Amino acid sequence: MKNDPSQQGKRFLKLFLTGNEARLGLTIVIVFLAVSLVVAVAGKSVVPYDPIKQNVGPALASPSTAHLMGTDNLGRDVFSRIVFATPNDLLVSFVVITSSFLVGIVLGGLAGYWGGILDEILMRSTDVIFAIPALILAMSIAVILGPGLIHMMYALMIVWWPPYARLARGEALQISQKNFIESAKTSGTSTFTIFRRHLARNILNPMLAYATLDIGTVVVVYAGLSYLGLSVQPPTPDWGAMVSAYQDYLISAPWLPLFPALVIAAVVIGFSLLGNALRDTIESQSIS
Amino acid sequence: MNFATFILRRLGLAIFVLLGVATITFTLSHLVSSNPLVAWLGRASGNPVLAAAYVKEYHLNDPLYVQFGYYMLALLHGDLGFSVFKGEPVSEALQQTLPFTLQIAFFAILLTLAIGIPLGVLAAKYHHTAVDYSISGFYLAGIASPYFLLALFLLILLTYTFHLLPSGGAFSPSVTEPYAITHFPLIDSLIEGKWSTFADGITHVIMPSLALALGIFGYVTRVLRSSMLDVLHANYIRTARAKGVDETTVFFRHALRNASIPVVTLASIVVTWLVTGTLFVEVIFAYPGIGQYAVQALSDLDYPSLLAITLVLAVIIVLSNLAADILYAVVNPEIRLR
Repeated sequence: MKNDPSQQGKRFLKLFLTGNEARLGLTIVIVFLAVSLVVAVAGKSVVPYDPIKQNVGPALASPSTAHLMGTDNLGRDVFSRIVFATPNDLLVSFVVITSSFLVGIVLGGLAGYWGGILDEILMRSTDVIFAIPALILAMSIAVILGPGLIHMMYALMIVWWPPYARLARGEALQISQKNFIESAKTSGTSTFTIFRRHLARNILNPMLAYATLDIGTVVVVYAGLSYLGLSVQPPTPDWGAMVSAYQDYLISAPWLPLFPALVIAAVVIGFSLLGNALRDTIESQSIS
Repeated sequence: MNFATFILRRLGLAIFVLLGVATITFTLSHLVSSNPLVAWLGRASGNPVLAAAYVKEYHLNDPLYVQFGYYMLALLHGDLGFSVFKGEPVSEALQQTLPFTLQIAFFAILLTLAIGIPLGVLAAKYHHTAVDYSISGFYLAGIASPYFLLALFLLILLTYTFHLLPSGGAFSPSVTEPYAITHFPLIDSLIEGKWSTFADGITHVIMPSLALALGIFGYVTRVLRSSMLDVLHANYIRTARAKGVDETTVFFRHALRNASIPVVTLASIVVTWLVTGTLFVEVIFAYPGIGQYAVQALSDLDYPSLLAITLVLAVIIVLSNLAADILYAVVNPEIRLR
């Protein structure tokens, strides 16, 4: 039975939004996206204080109404710094996930569909990349490229695609054996058209759910690279770098390193709740 | 496929992957800079005598594939290069640091299982109740925390608030470190029979291991919970219940045993997390392992060390995946037949 796509979409959304976890995840993600976009567009004017300017308040002041998250050792407003750094994480995760998604769906899809030598080469090269932890490999590449936000993005793009390729390959392998692909082949449809019209569309859903979950992982790994001093250089704020700069004040001002670290954790939790709910909804829909 | 063929195939794959990893580190070492001398010798590359010696030692005037051959040959002899910053061969620096990391990793795995398994069992036993939901909240927070958050949190709680554990290092300053026999300081202190040194070492190991375990136990809990729930609906469990076996025996003897098998497949995730996490945990707790060495090499731009560490960590991951594959095939014969 064929359903009206808008009806299908509504039903999906209704099912999806029944869970509390999905709602919490969605709220966090929307806040993260909104803050990122507003800051990216409006810049410094939206945060209460200039994030780079020193001595906007007394140094190491505890959280108060004037300074929501206190001030750091140089008297900079921590809340403004954290908010101002939000777009970095959105940019990195969006670019890294999108590129991995595209590379994965093309390489994995073709490998799963064609099989043979291409499949073998792809699977073995993903084996090799899987053997090195993403953060360590990205770190080695980052050292060669030099520090910087854009360079971290390149490093992560190089190491991030293999799971996507594997996922797409598995789905493509399954779908390519189904009857409708066989009939498309026998009716003379070109490989490109089969790929675009049948394969890509069917691979998309499980990959989208995985990608949503994976945004959190990118944020964590990027925070790690930033913590190691490989991303944005001071005085420009970045969450990971703030934790490493502030951890010397763990005794006198424990909130300094904790606030940026907790913000990272909150964003990751948001995307994992959303991704889990998305996956569950997709699964329950495909069953029904 | 019989068991021997299975193991041989996995072994072949592991060797292939290691060759691939070595190719990556070799490539990276040549991408470091247009002049590898600058990268490998740092500031000392201005010294013509030293530079000439390096060109000869690393065959830098030969074609790339010849250099690769020499590189692989050196690796097979355990020669991982020379660290100008450390003033010693990288292999020696690794011999001093790796055992510390393995100590933390060992305890981290113990703690991961000690926290992850009971919580997984509890969550399955009381599924869809408040117990289940609080456990899933707890492990989600652990999984979502960046590597350094848990370490900082433990430091604030256990050291600065309750003064229970030392803030860092492998031993207290007043304790003489044990003589390096096996290079594993905890084992060495036992060999020397110094119980107080051993106890001191243990107090320094707890927090780094716990910080790692809190980040990873959630995977064990999640997998165990769902496999317990699957198993509890299996026919043989119904049969056991129908036979009148009491619920505790059904739960632990019949269900838990089989439900634990999928946990083995987590080895890869666990080891990768441990390897990555040690970088942060060792820096925060000033623990002199391979993670601290890596971060030091990173800030010194000590490429030979950094690439050798990448290689060694990959070897650890490949070997533990191999071990996990074999273990999985032993406990679950079904996999061998595929």
